[in-house]
Amino acid sequence: MREKSFYKEIGFKCGLEIHQRLATEEKLFCPCSANMGPDQLMGKIEREQRAVAGELGAIDLSTLVESGKKRRFIYNLYNKGTCLVDIDEEPPHSPNKEALRTALIIASSLKCELTYEIEPMRKAVVDGSDPSAFQRSMLVGYDGHIEVKSRRVAIPSVFLEEESGGIEENDENSATYNLDRLGIPLIEIDTDPSIEDPVHAKEVAKAIGLILRITGMVQRGIGSIRQDVNISIKGGERVEIKGFQDLDKMDLIIDTEINRHIKLLEIKEELAKRKARVGKPVNVTGAFTNTNVKILDEQIRKGGIALAVKLEGYKGLLGMEIAPETRLGSEISGYAKTAGAKGIIHSDENLKEYGFSSEELEWLSKDLGIGPHDAFIIIAESAERCGKAMEMALKRAEIAKEGVPPETRSINMRSHATRFLRPMPGGSRMYPETDLFPISAADIAKEAERMKVDPDAIWRELEEEIGNRQLAEQMLWSKDLQLYKRIVKLANATPFVVASVLLEKMRELKRNGVDVDSVNEEALVRAFELYSRDAITRTGIEVIIRHTPSSAKEVERIVKEEHLKRITGNELAELVSRYGSGSKAEEVFKQIMLKYKLSIDAKELKSVLGVKDGV
Amino acid sequence: MYPEDIQKLLEKQGIKAGDLVKIRVHGKEFEGTLMPKPESGSRDSIILKFANGYNVGLKIDAGFRIEKIRSQPAVAFPSGSLRFNPSLSKVEMIYTGGTIGSKIDYLTGGVHMLTKPDELLYDVPELAEIAEIRVNNLMSIASEDISYMEWQKIAKSAADALNKGAEGVIITMGTDTMHYTSAALSFMLDNLNAPVVITGAQRSSDRGSSDAFTNLISAAYLASRSNIAEVGICMHTGISDNEWGFLRGTKVRKMHTTRRDAFKPVNSRPIATVNSKGEIRYISAYKKVGDERADAKVNAVTKFEPKVALHKVHPNSSPELLDYYVEKGYRGVILEVTGMGHAPVSTQHAEYNWLGNIKRAVEAGTVIGITSQCLYGRVNSTVYRNARLMSSAGAIYCEDMLPEVAYVKLGFLLGNYSKEKSEELLGKDISGEITKRSEIEV
Repeated sequence: MREKSFYKEIGFKCGLEIHQRLATEEKLFCPCSANMGPDQLMGKIEREQRAVAGELGAIDLSTLVESGKKRRFIYNLYNKGTCLVDIDEEPPHSPNKEALRTALIIASSLKCELTYEIEPMRKAVVDGSDPSAFQRSMLVGYDGHIEVKSRRVAIPSVFLEEESGGIEENDENSATYNLDRLGIPLIEIDTDPSIEDPVHAKEVAKAIGLILRITGMVQRGIGSIRQDVNISIKGGERVEIKGFQDLDKMDLIIDTEINRHIKLLEIKEELAKRKARVGKPVNVTGAFTNTNVKILDEQIRKGGIALAVKLEGYKGLLGMEIAPETRLGSEISGYAKTAGAKGIIHSDENLKEYGFSSEELEWLSKDLGIGPHDAFIIIAESAERCGKAMEMALKRAEIAKEGVPPETRSINMRSHATRFLRPMPGGSRMYPETDLFPISAADIAKEAERMKVDPDAIWRELEEEIGNRQLAEQMLWSKDLQLYKRIVKLANATPFVVASVLLEKMRELKRNGVDVDSVNEEALVRAFELYSRDAITRTGIEVIIRHTPSSAKEVERIVKEEHLKRITGNELAELVSRYGSGSKAEEVFKQIMLKYKLSIDAKELKSVLGVKDGV
Repeated sequence: MYPEDIQKLLEKQGIKAGDLVKIRVHGKEFEGTLMPKPESGSRDSIILKFANGYNVGLKIDAGFRIEKIRSQPAVAFPSGSLRFNPSLSKVEMIYTGGTIGSKIDYLTGGVHMLTKPDELLYDVPELAEIAEIRVNNLMSIASEDISYMEWQKIAKSAADALNKGAEGVIITMGTDTMHYTSAALSFMLDNLNAPVVITGAQRSSDRGSSDAFTNLISAAYLASRSNIAEVGICMHTGISDNEWGFLRGTKVRKMHTTRRDAFKPVNSRPIATVNSKGEIRYISAYKKVGDERADAKVNAVTKFEPKVALHKVHPNSSPELLDYYVEKGYRGVILEVTGMGHAPVSTQHAEYNWLGNIKRAVEAGTVIGITSQCLYGRVNSTVYRNARLMSSAGAIYCEDMLPEVAYVKLGFLLGNYSKEKSEELLGKDISGEITKRSEIEV
């Protein structure tokens, strides 16, 4: 990692958007099941969408780009998870109270002002992920903050919104979404761009995640929390990186992205020096009939065309690596792809490998008027697609002269580099939700203020309960905190034992190859319940976990089959008496434990035998 | 509108909705665009649009201050006009209001109807390649507010347009009473020699998923390319955006409050369907363009008798209500009764027996028509004794006609014909409202 001063020098700005699904029974605006449990596919519908004007009259650029693709959207409908509201065939019902309350508790825990009158809004989305072509979203809190290692980061907004549909298939003509996920309440927490460095970003994300988790009202598991990161550096523009799921790599990915920005700004400078210019498309289809360049040949044979453009002064810059597996050329290609092209060919690539003959290259050079510092790009596609794709490609080539374009990007988890998704959406995506009344939130806000969570206070409580500061801290940050609370409450088990089993024993068993994650929660509760009733020993809990039971009932079976029923009290005394007197107590202890190590508590046996602890 | 005191404060400082303002509440300052206040929100809050596009209602407290930063350009939807190709079929689009042309309304927070229907065309540029569309901005009202006087206006406008050379008519309107209008126009447009396609939307056109766009496109295909010389409703046949129907104006009913395929043909099949490529598939028999003499003018026969009622008869319903209609001078009543056409006429309790009241109404000169609440199927006056009694009392059985259609038909008949002629025609097909043959729907 670099020095902190480095980030200050480059004018690093970074803010987070954290999206977390809430664990309500029902969806945000309809009574569909919100838990994405097993469900039955009931059928599919097919829809079209188009860009409509936002509240301030403008149509957003990102909306137009998606809409320009003219794709068909297919939606999978589920028995418990989809209703008419989800497919925009019925107006929304009033918002889920539980979700509202949870959102306000979270906003309150983040020291926000709670919105007095919540105005449901529509955020235009035309990638098809919502059949209504918008996502309902509400600002529930604003002007909050979080403090991490005495560095304060502002939380300007907390939103409660609808989860989008889950993408199943996606190609240039259509996209298929699952609508069991659509409409699950989702909370979005935004920080201001005051995050100082990549490690700080990771810490803030973790701290917010902790607050979400300790409310106990959020969904867990893959995809239930997603982080987006906004980054810019001096002289550049803001870029949004979507879909961090693994916080461990967050700092590394941010650093990789910073390098890309630095390189793009270097390219900008170089282009300015060279007085770079983007040329006009030239139809070169004629020069490539019967070519050996497979990509061109295929398209031209199908009746497509090939367009080429000179990029004056771009030579060497298209091929310059700006991030792992990423060049300016691949960025330009990303734009062309939004218009349905498969990609571009550019002159910084090894053109011989594509199959270009020297003759063809000479023609191109001549047709386009290529000079020593010039580059060119070629796109071959169907006639209707080619022009549009080239237009998008040239737009990106043109922006290279300005440095870093404002974009939404995704992550390549293998290279840790980001990839262009679409232009950054602007403010004109917002539109009031006319189907709903504004929500007076004053009463729920009062309740939320009372129920807000404070990680430090919880840590103190845990420490008191468990009696061990380190275990308490581990428990606070553990994904199993809620499980711990449930077990302590329902099984009436000793907090220290529960914490050490969940944190230490589980880890040890996992290392030994036991699939501890598949142990059912009810089964665990039952195991601890048996333990606290002295019906099994602590070793018995371990044996049960090793069997990875999938239900509480299974626990009973394991207890029987593995002879885990604890021998205690009179029964133990009787057993001891059978081993007769005369033998040395230590000897008897060893013999009995050898035979009954699963069902006898060593401490109890020692006390019956009068053996001192430590044998 | 904001409460009077706030409104005054705003006026005093020259602040209008849409201005960028600085507000001080709860001891903090916020910047944003002042939004108009819908009537539905709470009285003590002010709505601000933050820079991130979100609206929030801020509670007005004792320390409330507002200050104008600057005016901003007025809120306007992008507008423009479509350039049409004059070589395409000429189609008249009669705009009457409804969800299809609805956009946000700050007064109520709900949606309101466009006053400039051309904006609708701007949202659907595909129309320019289908037909040469001329918009007649006839009115802008919700369909539940439409009366027979509006039917008359629409019928005259449609006839006018066709007589002046339009090759088809599209009527856009609200969906709630669309099937009443379609029935009325079916009876009123005599010598019709072109498609009259009524369409609308279940979801307003300010959402990207609205059915308005594809309904309009499909209606334009049918109005410009089909050879159907009838009045029909064109809406989605299912909840996917892939097929639209042309449903006979007298055989169609809104059967769902919200779904885009709310309109279903009842006791009939669609006349035709059209897909997103504009391919028309004809399904049942229909009156074709050219069946009328080419030089025949479309005649709008628009007289209508408003003193006709549609009344639902249910268990415990009092027959006195029929007396009320008679007393009030109603010239006809369509009864929507149960099953195959049965009202309570052999009851254990005299106060619920309709037979005498029906008899008296008929004797007083009121035309009584019988239709069924089942909607699907035909009424029959001979199978059960109760129906025989009603029929003998002078009630007219309306075959497989929908109750609403029978209502519109009786108003039309009594408006244009004698009582005797009306009685004669009520149970006979004059505009596709009664089918002789009950087709099997599988």
